[in-house]
Amino acid sequence: MNILTGLINGMISGATPILLAALGGTFTYYAGIFNIAMEGMMLSGAFFAVLGSYYFNSWPMGILCAILGSLFMALIFILFAVKLKTDEFVTGIALNLFAVGSTTYLLRQIFDVKGAFSKPGIVPIPRLNIPLINKIPFLGDILSGQNMIIYLTILLTILAAYMIFKTRFGLRLRAAGYNAACLDSSGVSTDRVRTWSLILCGVFCGLAGAFLSLGYVTLFSENMSAGRGWISLAAVILVNGNPWGIALISLIFGFTDGFGLLLQQYLPSQFTSMVPYVATLIALYFYSVKARNKKA
Amino acid sequence: MQRKLISGIAGILIALFIGAIIMIAQGFNPLTTYGALFNYSLIGLFPLATTLRNSVPLILTGLSASVAFASGPVNLGQPGQLLMGALFATIGGLYLDLPPVLMIPLLLLLAMIGGAMWSGLAALMRRWFNMDEFITTLMLNMIADFLTYWAISYPIFDKTAFSPMTPQISTNGWLPVIGEFNTNVIVMLVAFGVIYFVFSRWTAGYEWRITGQNSIFARLGGCKIDKNYVTVMLVTGALAGLAGGLVVMAGPHRFLKGLGANYAWDGVMIAVVANNGLIGTLLYGLFFSSLQTGALGMELITAVPSEFIQVLQAVIVLVVVAGRGTLDILINKTISRRKAREHAT
Repeated sequence: MNILTGLINGMISGATPILLAALGGTFTYYAGIFNIAMEGMMLSGAFFAVLGSYYFNSWPMGILCAILGSLFMALIFILFAVKLKTDEFVTGIALNLFAVGSTTYLLRQIFDVKGAFSKPGIVPIPRLNIPLINKIPFLGDILSGQNMIIYLTILLTILAAYMIFKTRFGLRLRAAGYNAACLDSSGVSTDRVRTWSLILCGVFCGLAGAFLSLGYVTLFSENMSAGRGWISLAAVILVNGNPWGIALISLIFGFTDGFGLLLQQYLPSQFTSMVPYVATLIALYFYSVKARNKKA
Repeated sequence: MQRKLISGIAGILIALFIGAIIMIAQGFNPLTTYGALFNYSLIGLFPLATTLRNSVPLILTGLSASVAFASGPVNLGQPGQLLMGALFATIGGLYLDLPPVLMIPLLLLLAMIGGAMWSGLAALMRRWFNMDEFITTLMLNMIADFLTYWAISYPIFDKTAFSPMTPQISTNGWLPVIGEFNTNVIVMLVAFGVIYFVFSRWTAGYEWRITGQNSIFARLGGCKIDKNYVTVMLVTGALAGLAGGLVVMAGPHRFLKGLGANYAWDGVMIAVVANNGLIGTLLYGLFFSSLQTGALGMELITAVPSEFIQVLQAVIVLVVVAGRGTLDILINKTISRRKAREHAT
């Protein structure tokens, strides 16, 4: 039973950053932006989360700084890809490298350390104990006592699905991706819709970064997003952007993450760390086969 | 060509200016910093030789990315292919012992096979299952990272070392050094020459370029685009693998943890700034290498951490690429305006 709850909790916390970043990515996906900068946004979010939490000694400030840091990256993306019409792929690659470089640089400049920064002064995001529910035998360990961001993520998933499919903004968002010229000619600026989608992506990725550095662990290490932004991009592409599908895929990735940790008893850790990436390849395989069958 | 040169130089100058503003904001003197930076990478024989040596992996991975992007496949797997190439060359160097005349070409070949194998995997997934190489190569990067980490921690671990690394390869596999200059530059130049010739003079290269520009047109014109796709993936993988092999054979002569570092991603970045042009890749590769080589000198002389260069590189990429786009739009606008005026009269 303990292993099972451990596995499920591992799955949930492994899925959260991917889900958050992918939800951010789905806004830009619908808006017709080829956004590969989630990795960079997440990384800068993770760094500024630690910075805010450490300097203000409070985790809400950490989250706020994370969102601001990630938004800064999103604004650069907006400036180059939306305003100056630079190639989105190029902007994304440069932005990801900029995030790696600048966080490493700031880590050295502000905290005077190389590699990783961890101090007792960093306040982590607390876990939420829900009274009554935590008394339920088995389920209580899963439903209660999770990190606050995890509950927030569930709300945000619902919100994202509602926004995309039920609101006027969502309609415009999808129109921007579906037929930008048509949207422009009906009097709505595509650029403005795309700008908003990138801002939303920045906020979501900032939260994902905050969860990485203040929830999952309480430290910042160089390049700690470790390809999660790419996995979340894969998740968005795999389900064509549907938020519910993304939630499901993220849970599967989270499961492989926890499963990898469990396997560590039998295999060298390097192999267990590969599991999520191999799982992405397998998921992509099934997606491609399905797509081909549909075509045939 | 001239337009590219102007936008490139202007972009670099603007980026250096932005870098200077960042430095002033942090209380550093930009002039002494840039002075130290280029002093340690360009002035004198030894700095120049070091810059040249360090430029080899950058240019080769950049070449790999340029050829791939210009021919269609979005091969982003250079980091993984570089690692696999380095691993193959290291294994060859550990278990084989031949005279240098045979050993060096053999190790280079092994490195290319290692890289080509890894990109070939992605190419097969695309051909058989229609899986997008853009994601598969990225995932293979991570897998290669862990795979090589495992290899140097267990099977070919140097038992006398404290951190994961392999023993040194046989001295016969070391690239000879002429004076200050390492011969890895020669290998790189040969590879560049071959690729340049194939890409811009041969029928195969012509087909690749046409496929990159318009694959439907290429197919209707009689190109075997599927076969070309696999060839391009293999060639670009081999180039990245070669970069990895050269890093091992010219530098530490062993596989250390974090060996590839950022070489391969920098290579992708270089390809992007150079707009997939081969000559541009060579020039930007040299320039980025001079920045990276000078970074250590800069840290030594001034208080600016060497990591600043990573920030500067990304700024250069963004400014140059954005500047190129904006310049094109401006020029096109002027041309169309002039045409409209001619029409009116």
